[in-house]
Amino acid sequence: MVTLFIGTVLDGAHFANAAMLYLVAVLASATAFGRGPAVVASIAAFGSFDWWFVEPLHQLTVADPKQYVSLLLFLLVAIVTSQLAAEQRSRTAQALEREREAVVLADIAVLTAAPDLGSSLDAAAARIQQELDVAAVGILLRGRPPVIAPFSADVERLFRGAAAAPANALSPSLAASATAPGRTGRWVRVVSPVPREERARRRLHSVAIDAGGASAGSLVVLRRAGAPAFRAPDDRLLSATAAQIGLAVDRARLRDEATEGEVSRRSDELKTALLGAVSHELRTPLASIMASAGSLRQRDVRWSDAEREEFHGSIEQEVRRLDRLVGELLDLSRIDAGHLVLRREYHPIDALILDVVGRLRAVTSAHELRVDVPDDLPPVSVDYLRIDQVLSNLIENAARYAPAGSLIEVSARAADGRLRIEVTDEGPGIAPGDRERVFAPFHRLPRGERAPTKGAGLGLAIARRLVEAHGGRIQVEPAPGRGARFVVTLPLDAAPVPG
Amino acid sequence: MSEGRARILVVDDEPGMVRTLRTNLRGHGFDVDTAENVRDAIAEYDRGRPDVVLLDLGLPDTDGLALIRTIRDRASTPILVVSARDDDRDKVSALDLGADDYLTKPFSVDELLARIRVALRHVARPASGTEAVFESGDLRVDFGRREVRVGSRAVRLTPTEYDLLKALISHPDRVMTFSLLLRQVWGPGYASEGHYLHVYVARLRKKLEDDPQAPRWIQSEPGVGYRFRAEGG
Repeated sequence: MVTLFIGTVLDGAHFANAAMLYLVAVLASATAFGRGPAVVASIAAFGSFDWWFVEPLHQLTVADPKQYVSLLLFLLVAIVTSQLAAEQRSRTAQALEREREAVVLADIAVLTAAPDLGSSLDAAAARIQQELDVAAVGILLRGRPPVIAPFSADVERLFRGAAAAPANALSPSLAASATAPGRTGRWVRVVSPVPREERARRRLHSVAIDAGGASAGSLVVLRRAGAPAFRAPDDRLLSATAAQIGLAVDRARLRDEATEGEVSRRSDELKTALLGAVSHELRTPLASIMASAGSLRQRDVRWSDAEREEFHGSIEQEVRRLDRLVGELLDLSRIDAGHLVLRREYHPIDALILDVVGRLRAVTSAHELRVDVPDDLPPVSVDYLRIDQVLSNLIENAARYAPAGSLIEVSARAADGRLRIEVTDEGPGIAPGDRERVFAPFHRLPRGERAPTKGAGLGLAIARRLVEAHGGRIQVEPAPGRGARFVVTLPLDAAPVPG
Repeated sequence: MSEGRARILVVDDEPGMVRTLRTNLRGHGFDVDTAENVRDAIAEYDRGRPDVVLLDLGLPDTDGLALIRTIRDRASTPILVVSARDDDRDKVSALDLGADDYLTKPFSVDELLARIRVALRHVARPASGTEAVFESGDLRVDFGRREVRVGSRAVRLTPTEYDLLKALISHPDRVMTFSLLLRQVWGPGYASEGHYLHVYVARLRKKLEDDPQAPRWIQSEPGVGYRFRAEGG
């Protein structure tokens, strides 16, 4: 080509120019094709130059012995420069390879740094699969479901088999292919004596994942059918990725341990707080009982009948309070221990509400009580006594916190497959920040002006658990104007509820 | 006590407790005012100027500790803290803020009345501990001569032991918290060096008490401090 170019374009160029042009061609082929082709190009250029430009022309001989030197010099320069160019080419290729490795590893590092190990493994597997252009990538870790990209049941079976075998020792042929860099693929006609799965197994490559100094699983790659074996850079990339995944696993383990520690610390704190609250709630009525009983025993004062009656009354009232507290504590612990058994049957909810309202007439006597329940509500599958307990608690609370003479409204509606029962009062209301807290055990709002007694702060905690056991919800909503509105939502279709 | 009857302010948010205490204390010849939160308590305090305040720490509006601070800003009226709280730190904070004594719920009314009488004695005799000679049973402390005797036996005390005994005697029948004693005897920088105090109290008991395991005078209030029983002898 160079000869033709010189012949036609330059029309018989000068001897030295021609030599230079041949050298350019040699350099170009060295840059484009590498070391081997560069040597061939050097020799071809040497021959062509001799044939076309060295007297006698069109012969591979040299007439003037002085030109031997020039010709040999030309060959030497051609070979040396071509080697340098080829060297440069291979360095560039290596640098590109390293850059790719660095980019992929940086990606993997970022992906595996995500707090959720599961999704970061998914992302890492997908990235490797895309980068190496392989059929599938699997990350198989002990104690975790396998991560496979793209997922297929066949591949999963194959990978699980591979993970069971020691890593990097799948088959001698595979080990050889994995460590033979630069081997290129070739098309062969396969009439395979081995079954399909066995053939697939030969395309598997597995790298062990170590976390915290112990084996944690393996990174398994399935090459595409007919794809060339892995080269050294691919191997390196896989090992580095496996190391990154190992670090991520280790990090996740440490994070889990730290979280468990935190959870257990908080739960201990909660238990201590609950214990403190229980002891306070038990001691308070006991103190009144002891003071009253002690007063009755005192001989230095002659108590009048009215005074004695007051001490007796106080003892009786506080004993009732203790009894109720103990009952509530038992309820709460029974529910929390999972021992609550609901006796569910279909009941007309309007009858249930009227029943509760009727029974609590004494408690709500100072308030105006309005009941707004249509009589065509569908029956609901509930444990009658438990829902009665929930509604009683809500109405008693309303009476306790709302001022005398104010309105307490109980209403029920059915919509969207749910029954919604509302108990609305005109009391001081519940601040937005307290709307969740009121359902925590022993949380108590400041007492209403007229509240004759205090509850233990367990009623709403129990109510929430009971409603949730029915598959429903209980929450506080702001009432129109001031006041609080408690809303109980129960499913109308009786879905089976665990517990 | 201006009209011969001592006035007691009961601050508690438990209606049952308030009722019982009011009836009992009136029966025992006291005038009783009541309040169920800090705001009302301050108003009642200013109105009635009670001789003793009986205070439950767990009040609905603000912590009872705030009331101790407010009262201490105005007068040295004895404050008897009553609490169902289990935490010793609450008692210590209350005493450090200036409360005079504490009782844990449930308590016996006789014990409560005894503590009220002690508090009232201090109102009547505010300069206690300044007499030249203190006597309790066979314990005799002559402050003028720095002389301590138990019966006919002269007791030799080191200067620190003597200072500690003097600090305890100067507040008879009242709880003195560890930090208060440490500050009075060792100085402000020693308020948290509890072990000094334990060592010196043990030495004092050994020198004064017949049976240091069951002390007559220097009583422990676990987790809180010590109380010198003036009637220990």
